[in-house]
Amino acid sequence: MKKFVFIPLLLASSIASSHDMVPATDQSAPLLITNATVHTVSDGVKANTSVLVEQGRIKAIGNNLNAAGATVIDASGKHLYPGMVALDTQVGMVEISMVRPTVDTYDVGDNNADLRAAAVFNPDSEIIPTLRRNGITHAQIVPRGELLAGQSALVNLDSWTVEDAKVEAPQSLHLYWPEPKLPAKADEREKAFAEHSKALSNIDKLFADANSFIARKQSEPKLTHRRFEAMAGLFDGSARLFIHADEASAIREALVLVNRYKLSAVIVGGYEAAEVADGLKAAGVAVVYPSVLSLPRHSDDNIDEAFAVPAKMAAAGIEFAIAYSGDWEARNLPYAAGYAAAHGLGRDAALKAITLDAAKIAGVNDMGAIKEGYRANLVLAEGDILDPLTGRIQQVFIDGRAIDLKTRSAQLYQKYLKR
Amino acid sequence: MTGLFFFSKTFLQFPCPNPPLIRLTSFDYPPIKTVQTMAINRNSLIFLLLGSACCSLSLEAKTLLTAEPERLIALQGARLHLAPGQTLEQGTLVIQGNRIKAVLDGIQTPAGANVIDMKGLDIYPGFIDPFTEYGIGFEYPKQEKDAPVYEIGRIGGNAANGAIHAEKQWAHFFAPNKESAEAWVNNGFTSVHSAKFDGIFRGTGVHVSLADKIANDVIYSERGNSFLSFDKGSSIQDYPNSLMGAIALIRQTLMDASWYQQNKRRLASDNQPGTLEFNAALDAIGEPNQTFYIFDTPDLNNQLRASRLMKEFTLSGALLGNGQEYARLNEIKVSGASVILPLNFPAAPDVSSPETEQQLKLAELRHWEYAPKNLSMLSDAGVSFALTLHGIDDKKDFWPRLKKALDAGLEEQAALAALTTDAAKIAGIDKFAGKLSPGFIADLAVYSGNPFKDGKLVSVFLMGEETALKPREQLALAGRYELGYQDKRHAVKLDVNHSPDGSFELAFEEPANTNTNASVDTNAAADSKPDSKSESAPSPIKLAGRPHELTGRAALPGIDGKARIILDLRAKKGTATLADGSVIALSLTHVTEAKAAATAKADAAKTDASGDEKAKAKADANKALIGKLTSPNVAFGLSSAPAQDKVHIQGATLWTSEADGILENTDLIISKGRILKIGQNLMTPPGFTKIDARGKHLTAGIVDEHSHIALNGGTNEDTDAVTSEVRIGDVLNPDDIALYRSLAGGVTTAQLLHGSANPIGGQSQLIKLRWGETAEGLKYEGAPGSIKFALGENVKQSNWGDDYTTRFPQSRMGVEAAIADAFDAARQHQADIAAFEKLSSSEQKARVSPRPNLRLDALSEVLASKRDVHIHSYVQSEILMFLRLAEAYGFKVKAFTHVLEGYKVAKELAAHGAGASTFSDWWAYKFEVYDAIVENACLMQQQGVLTSLNSDSFEMQRRLNQEAAKSMMYCNMSAEDAWKMITINPAIQLGIEKDTGSLKEGKVADIVLWDAHPMSVYARTEMVWVDGKRHFDRELDRQMQAEQAAERRALINKILTLDEEGRSGEAPKAAQSEPEWHCDTHFEVFKTGISTQQSTQHSHGAH
Repeated sequence: MKKFVFIPLLLASSIASSHDMVPATDQSAPLLITNATVHTVSDGVKANTSVLVEQGRIKAIGNNLNAAGATVIDASGKHLYPGMVALDTQVGMVEISMVRPTVDTYDVGDNNADLRAAAVFNPDSEIIPTLRRNGITHAQIVPRGELLAGQSALVNLDSWTVEDAKVEAPQSLHLYWPEPKLPAKADEREKAFAEHSKALSNIDKLFADANSFIARKQSEPKLTHRRFEAMAGLFDGSARLFIHADEASAIREALVLVNRYKLSAVIVGGYEAAEVADGLKAAGVAVVYPSVLSLPRHSDDNIDEAFAVPAKMAAAGIEFAIAYSGDWEARNLPYAAGYAAAHGLGRDAALKAITLDAAKIAGVNDMGAIKEGYRANLVLAEGDILDPLTGRIQQVFIDGRAIDLKTRSAQLYQKYLKR
Repeated sequence: MTGLFFFSKTFLQFPCPNPPLIRLTSFDYPPIKTVQTMAINRNSLIFLLLGSACCSLSLEAKTLLTAEPERLIALQGARLHLAPGQTLEQGTLVIQGNRIKAVLDGIQTPAGANVIDMKGLDIYPGFIDPFTEYGIGFEYPKQEKDAPVYEIGRIGGNAANGAIHAEKQWAHFFAPNKESAEAWVNNGFTSVHSAKFDGIFRGTGVHVSLADKIANDVIYSERGNSFLSFDKGSSIQDYPNSLMGAIALIRQTLMDASWYQQNKRRLASDNQPGTLEFNAALDAIGEPNQTFYIFDTPDLNNQLRASRLMKEFTLSGALLGNGQEYARLNEIKVSGASVILPLNFPAAPDVSSPETEQQLKLAELRHWEYAPKNLSMLSDAGVSFALTLHGIDDKKDFWPRLKKALDAGLEEQAALAALTTDAAKIAGIDKFAGKLSPGFIADLAVYSGNPFKDGKLVSVFLMGEETALKPREQLALAGRYELGYQDKRHAVKLDVNHSPDGSFELAFEEPANTNTNASVDTNAAADSKPDSKSESAPSPIKLAGRPHELTGRAALPGIDGKARIILDLRAKKGTATLADGSVIALSLTHVTEAKAAATAKADAAKTDASGDEKAKAKADANKALIGKLTSPNVAFGLSSAPAQDKVHIQGATLWTSEADGILENTDLIISKGRILKIGQNLMTPPGFTKIDARGKHLTAGIVDEHSHIALNGGTNEDTDAVTSEVRIGDVLNPDDIALYRSLAGGVTTAQLLHGSANPIGGQSQLIKLRWGETAEGLKYEGAPGSIKFALGENVKQSNWGDDYTTRFPQSRMGVEAAIADAFDAARQHQADIAAFEKLSSSEQKARVSPRPNLRLDALSEVLASKRDVHIHSYVQSEILMFLRLAEAYGFKVKAFTHVLEGYKVAKELAAHGAGASTFSDWWAYKFEVYDAIVENACLMQQQGVLTSLNSDSFEMQRRLNQEAAKSMMYCNMSAEDAWKMITINPAIQLGIEKDTGSLKEGKVADIVLWDAHPMSVYARTEMVWVDGKRHFDRELDRQMQAEQAAERRALINKILTLDEEGRSGEAPKAAQSEPEWHCDTHFEVFKTGISTQQSTQHSHGAH
C-alpha cells in the first residue's frame, strides 16, 4: 500500500502557483479513506469508519477494509462528506457579470425550450475552482429568461470540456413563472391583474400547442419545430420542468399546469411553498429553495423568515433542496445550509438538502450520499463543512479523482506573499 | 345686495342694456349664475360670434364715469360665529362695500342698509385655503432631454439651477377662473393662497379672493408667502437627482441669497457695473429669514426634514402635511411649525384577494385607521394647522372627510380655527381675514345648520358680494305643512323638502286611518295610472315647479277619485279640481320650518337617554382604534422606548476585542449606558437584573464601515463629478426595517455612505442602530466628520450606458485630475476668504465678498484634516494614486473601502497609515474585482494594515459575524483578529474607538449576547444593547411576531365589516418604492424610475 501524504492546502498552493489547475485523471488505483467520521447522509453518521473507492464509485463502507494497491488516507479525527450539488447556478455561463461579452445566461423570447446551458459552459472559468474548493463537486447550470428559458445541465466541476463535465440526467426545462408585483393604485392593480391573466393564458396556449404538435408529429413525422420538440419529454414524463416561482399564488397557478399535463415538476424559489404544502405533495413536486441568505420578501415578514423557510418546508413534509443562485456567490452554498440549520432545520437535514436531495431533484440517483455503488464524490474536512468557523476542507474527490483545490485567488495570494 | 354695483359689473361683462334682473328685493334676487345665463341667452348672437372670449372682454360701449356708491348691507338675525370660541347667538352683520362695517348684537336695522333676513342661519368667516394653484395657468416650457443636462440656459438673470424659480411672483401670472373657483366656493372657502407648484424655490405666492372679478380686484396680497419644496419638478437639469442633493441646493441657495443681499447693499451697482452678478432669483429671496415659507413635502420624513432645515436657517413658515403627523407627533410639535393639512384619508386597503392582502403593510392598515384621528391628535398636541383641498381628488369629499375627523375627536372650534384664523395666519392675511370683525374683509360662509354636523352651505359672500348656492327663500318654504279643505273638516299633513335641483318633494304623512288616506301622483304618472287603488301607502313624490305653483294629483280623504291639486307655498293656499270638474279651495298651514324641525328632532334625541348612549357608543367605537401606534410606526416598531438597562450578565465568554482577548466565564455589568465592570464572580449591585449567560458569548456590538441602509431619496447624487456638499445625514429614514434586521444581526454602529457614482461624493453619516428613535436620534454624536470619495469603474461611468460619456472624468487618469482640481479650488476658496478677511472694513465695502461654497468647504475640511476620507477603490493603481495624491495635499486617508486589491499594495497602505475595509469573499461581478482574493484581509492584516470587513449590503449586514469567520477559514486568521475586523478595527477607522468597538470598563455599552461562538454559522443573537438600552431582544421579537399577526387580522376584519361608504377614501398615490441602496444605485428621486438593475435573489448587486 502506498501512503498518501497529505499536503496542507497552503503549501500545495504555493508549490503549484506557477501553473494552472489541471483536471484530475480518472481514478486508476483504489482509494481507501480510513478512520473518518463518515457523514453518509443516507445512513447517518458513522464514527471511525473507512470508505473504499474503486473506479470512481464507492465500493465499501465499514471497518477493516482492504484493497490491494490502494492509496490510503488516514482520516483520523476528520470528517468525510458527500460532495455538494449546487442547484440553480450560472457557473461557467458567465465570467464577469458586468462585462457583457462574458455573459451567456439569458436570451430573448418567451419560448426558448431549445436553448441549452451546456452549449455555453466554460470549464476553464476561474469561478469553478472556487466552488469545488468549498466542497461543491457538481453544479446545475441554468439559463435565465422571460418564460420558458431553456434547458439546464448538471456538470461536474473538474473537466477539460463540457462533454467531460456533463452528468447523465433527465432533460430539465426551466420556466420562469410570471409573478406580478401589484401596484397600490386600484386601476393599475386591475391592469396588472389583467396582464397577469393574459400571461397565464399564454402559458396555457404554449403548452396546449406543444402538446398537440407532438401528438401530430406521431402521424406527420416530417413536421419540425425546434422549440416544441424540445418540450416533448415534458408530456411523456421523461423531462422535468423546473418552475421558478416564490409566492404561494404563483405556485398554485403552476400546480394547475403541472396537474393538467401530469408533469414531472420542481419549484425553484418556493419562499411561500409551505403554504401550498398539500398541493405540492399531491403533485409530487419538490422545491429548490435558493434564498436562505436573502432578505425577507416583504418588509413586514419576520426578520428570520428567509432563513427559516427550509425548516417550515421540512415541517410541512415537502421534499426540498437548498441552493444558492448565481455564479461566484454559489460557493457560499454550504453556509446558506448552515444558517438554515441554525433556524430550525438542523444540521443533518441541512446537509441532506445540499447533497442527496439536491442530486435527487437534479434527477440523479447515485450521487449525494456515501453509499455503496454511489459516485465517489467526497469531501474530506477537519470539521463541519457547513460552518466556516470549523470546516477546513482538505481534499475533494469527484468520481474518485483527487481534485486540485487551487484557485486563482490562492495563486494571487501566494504571488503577493512573495512581494 | 343693492342693485347698482351689481348692475355695473353686469354692464362691464355683458352687452345687455337692460339686465334682466327681475326684482331687487333683498330677499329674492337670483344667484349671479342665473343672471349671466339669462344675459347670454338674450344676446346669444353676440355670444356665438365672440365665443368664450365674451366673458373676459368688455364689450360695453357705454362708459359710466361716475363712481358707484359703496353698498351697505345688513345681514340680520343670524347666529354670528365671530371667531373660534366667539359666537353671537343673534346679531346683525353690517357690510359696507367689501368690508365688514359693524357687528351688532340682536336684530338691528342700520339706517340706509339693505336688510337681508338671515334668521335661523349661521354665518362664519369665509374659509381660507393657504395651499392652492388656483388661477395660475402658467406652465414652464416643456423641454425634451435625451442626454444628461449639466447646465441650463441662462435668461434674465435666473438662477444657475433649473429648479430655482424664486424670482417668480405668481401675482403676475394670476387670472381668476370662475369654474375652478367653484371647488372651493362650494366648500365654503372664500379666498386662497396660490402659486405654481413646480420646482424647489417656487417663487412668491399670491393671496386672492375667489370672487369672479378681474384679477386686479381680487388680489389681497400680491406678495404672499414663498413656496419651497424638495422636488425639482420640471427642471431638466440633472442636478439635483437625489433628495440630499435638493436639500444641499436649498442650503447653498439660502446662503447665496444672504451673500447677495449683503453685497448688494454694500455696492451701488450702477457705478460699479460687473462687480456683482445680477441674479434675479437670489435678489428675490432676499434675506431668507425675512420671508414666510410654505414648504411642500410629500411625506412625514420629508416634513420633518423641512422643519429641521427651516430651523437651521431660522426660517419661519408652515409645512404642508401628509396626514401621518400622528406617527411622530412629538417631533412635529417640537418643530413649532404650523401645518397645512390635506384631508387625504386613504380608502380602506384592498383586502379583496389574498394577493392584495398579502402585499399590504401593517403600516398601511394602521394608517387607514388612524388618518381621521390625525387632526384631533395634532389639535390636542397644540399644533396649529390649516386645512386645504390639496390632496383630495374629488373636492366634494372635503366636508365628509372633515366630519370623519370630527367623529374621531376633533373639536368643532379647532376645525373652525383651522379653516379661518389659523389659515389666515399661515396665509399672512390674519390682519383682515378669518374673523367676523369690523374692518375685516366681508368674506362669509352662510350655513343653514351647523356645518360641522349636518348643516348645509347656503351661500358665500366674496368681498361683500353674495354667491347664493341654495335660494334662501326655497329653504324657508321647506318644512311641515297641514293641508285643510272643505272648511277644515279635513286635514292632511305633509312634508315639503327642497331638492338641490330646484324642485320640491312632497311627502304626505301616512295616516293611521286608511279612510283618511291621501296620495299624490305627479301629472305624468296620473295620466297613465288608473285613479282607483289609491289606498296603498303614499310614497314621497316629486313635483317640478315653482314654489307658487306645485301641481299634482292626489286622492284626498273624503273626496272620490284623484283631484288635480295646485299648491302655492308662498300664498299658503291652493285649489283642488275634483273628478266632477268642481273646484274647492285648499288652505295650507306652515307647521314647522325645516330647520326648526330638524332642531326639534335633535333635541328630542338629546333628551332621549338611550339615544344619547347610542350616539356615544358610536363615537367611542370610532375613537377606539385597533391598530397600535409604535415607534417607528411600522411592523416591529417598539411600543415603548427601551430604558437604560441595569443588568449583570453572568458567566459568559467575553470577546473583549482588547489586549485581554477572550475571557472565559466572565461577568459584565451594564449601568447608565456604559460598561460598569468586567470580572469574574462579580457581586450583583442592588436593583440589577441578572442574566445567566453561561455557555453564551458576549461581544462588543458590530461596527459596519460601509452601509446604505435607512436612507430616503437616493444614496447617490450622481449628477456632478464633485458633490461634496450633499449630506447623508439629511436623509436618514428611521422607519427602515433594515435597521431592525441588522440590529438583530448584532450591528450597533454603521457608517452610512454616499454611493460611488462620482469621484467626490457626499458627506457620510455615522449612526447607531437605535431602532425606535427619530432620524436625529440615530446620529452618532461626536464622531469625526467623514466623506465618501470613489475611484474606478463607477466614477468613470463605465457601466452607466451609452448616454453617459460626456462627464469628466471618463478614465482613471481623469479621476486623479478631477480630484486634484477640486482640492485646488478648495484651496483657492480658502485663500480668497483669508485675503478678504485681512482687508480693512472700508476696503471690504468696496468689493464683493467671497461667495459661500458648501461644496468647497467640505473639501477644505478634508485638506485641514478635519474631515476623514473613506474612499471606494478596487485596483492597485488607483489605490496608489490616491495615497500619493493625499500625501501631496497633506492629509491622511482614513480608510480605503472595498480595496479588493489592497493585498497588492499592503505595504504602501501600512506605510501611509491608511485603514482598509474590505469584503471577505466578493469578486468577479465586474472587471475591476477580477483580481479580488479571499485572502485579502489576511494579507493586509499581516502587513500591518488596520483591516476591517464591511457589508455594503442590506442582506449581508445581518451576518457580518459569518463574514469574519471566512478569514479564519480561507487564510487562518486567528479568531480574535477576525472578530476585531468587525468591532474595534472599524471603530478605529471611524474615530470612535474610545467609546465603542470593544468590551472595556467605562466604554459605552454596545453589546451583543450570542447563543454560540459568535463566528459560527449556527450563532444567533439573543439580546443587543445600544448605549446600554436593549434595542433588540429575541424573546420580544417572538412576541411581536404573534401580536402583529393578530393586529393585522383584526384590522382586516374591521375593513371587512364596512360597507362601501365606510371603506371610501383617497385612492393611494403611486408612491415610488425605494430600492435597497447600493454603491451604484442610480435613482431619480423626482421622476419615475430606478435605472439600476435590481438583483433578484441576493442583495450584493454591484458595488
